[in-house]
Amino acid sequence: MKIFGKQLFRPRSIWIRRVVQWFFFLFIALISVNHTLVESGGGIPFLSTASLHALCPFGGVVTIYQYATVGTFVQKIHESAFVLMIVGFVLAFLFGPVFCGWVCPLGTVQEWVSKLGKKFFKRKFNHFVPAKLDNILRYLRYVVLAWVVYVTATSGTLIFAEYDPYFALFNFWSSEVAVGGLVILGVTLLLSLFVERPWCKYACPYGAVLGITNLFRVFQIRRVESTCKADGACSIMCPMNIPVDSVKTVRDHQCISCLECTSEAICPVAKTVVFNAGGIK
Amino acid sequence: MNLTSKPLAVIIFIILFGGISFSTAMGWWATESTKEPVTFTEGEFAGQYNPADIRGSYTFGDVENSFGIPSVILAQAFSIETDNPAAFAVKSLEEIYAASEFEIGTASVRLFVAFYNGLPIDLSTDMYLPENAAVLLKKRTLTPEQITYLEAHTVPNPTASSASDSPEPAPAQETESAPEAVTTPSASTTESSTERLVKGKTTFQEVLDWGVSQEIIEQVMGAPMPNPLTKIKDYCNEKGLEFETIKTALQVEVDKVK
Ligand code: SF4
Ligand code: SF4
Repeated sequence: MKIFGKQLFRPRSIWIRRVVQWFFFLFIALISVNHTLVESGGGIPFLSTASLHALCPFGGVVTIYQYATVGTFVQKIHESAFVLMIVGFVLAFLFGPVFCGWVCPLGTVQEWVSKLGKKFFKRKFNHFVPAKLDNILRYLRYVVLAWVVYVTATSGTLIFAEYDPYFALFNFWSSEVAVGGLVILGVTLLLSLFVERPWCKYACPYGAVLGITNLFRVFQIRRVESTCKADGACSIMCPMNIPVDSVKTVRDHQCISCLECTSEAICPVAKTVVFNAGGIK
Repeated sequence: MNLTSKPLAVIIFIILFGGISFSTAMGWWATESTKEPVTFTEGEFAGQYNPADIRGSYTFGDVENSFGIPSVILAQAFSIETDNPAAFAVKSLEEIYAASEFEIGTASVRLFVAFYNGLPIDLSTDMYLPENAAVLLKKRTLTPEQITYLEAHTVPNPTASSASDSPEPAPAQETESAPEAVTTPSASTTESSTERLVKGKTTFQEVLDWGVSQEIIEQVMGAPMPNPLTKIKDYCNEKGLEFETIKTALQVEVDKVK
């Protein structure tokens, strides 16, 4: 808040992001409920009745191989998933994995649980995993990605649906849900008490794909060294434990473009950590 | 150029929903499959729809559209009693046959369609069909390999209780309502016991129930009687006996009891 041109109060977090996250969480939840209702003869008017597989951009990614070789989609995947994949790539090319930081309901739910963890463990929260191990584990999601793409290409079916916690989250009431998915969802939520976004950091294959865009995205998180007070607030705040205070430009494959490190949120100096395209003058 | 959170939020919405609207306008936005299976790409059947691509989300009507098998026949094969067989979703079979020891589901429909239309299908895995389906298929032209596979993969029709969602029609009604109905009645015990006909599905137990003693059965067979729940035909095949001969001889014994 500004009074007589002076900044008196600086929000500690990006509130509009929470609003957007809530919106997509409710949106997807409603569609998923509607899908179940329609299958049993009911349904909410004017709302999409699509299955979640049709609304998952990652479905588009796993079907690329089959589409390119045979010209068909993997079972349960439809054109809509392809469209969403392209939209997701456009967003990521411009802004990095904003899908993760702003849209993905699974990321949102993990953040909600993490709020509890923060209350319990205070500063220890999100710092339980030893740095060395953590660094290695962060590449695990590429292994998961390679596995998912491989099994999907060889089987032509959506094997990942059996393990997908995102699908389980919005279908735990339906007979379509797989036990594997529920277990992974349960473990993810439990770990979220100790670590911020454990699924995103260590396992999510879609996060892995989007994460690559951090290397070349148009808008980057940049730190202005000349005004930086080096208090490390940005690094402490970063949910993905990225050392923002030691780089000029964040190119870490794990950044989710949440903007929590920026001067709009935690950084106490105006225009010092910014979301910028074209470089800082 | 710097960007802050609020414009970013707006841009996310614009790109996401704009992308969806644009693709809808272009006709690219489909959240359901077209329900059209892939076709065989090579060989004798190139260009024809491949039954292996039938999916759980298909209805009997979709199968009818692609393969020309009337929905009523499909409903009859799987003992589905409904006024609108075309709307029946293939994936619902699993629920209806939940009590079955062997899985009857989408794979069963693929098998049925392939055999019904004489299309190739990979038989290296086990796919099962209910008796009604097997009866219908036996009226089609099958290769010896297909017949053997079918006989080894036939399971009983669902019982009325297991088919609670779509109650199974009584076989008699079925015969009346469906034009190409099964001419040989189904093997439900009660019915068979009233009809007392030795058929491919008859078990030794049924013959015992009709009053023929084990001794006589063994005499006719010229061999000891196995587990009474074994189907006579299976046993004949296994022992290399001519089923038709045994069947006729047993029928004579059954008729004597009347
Ligand atoms: S990493 Fe995966 S689970 Fe996490 S926010 Fe991104 S897409 Fe969602
Ligand atoms: S570097 Fe900044 S924008 Fe990226 S994840 Fe960390 S806090 Fe969010």
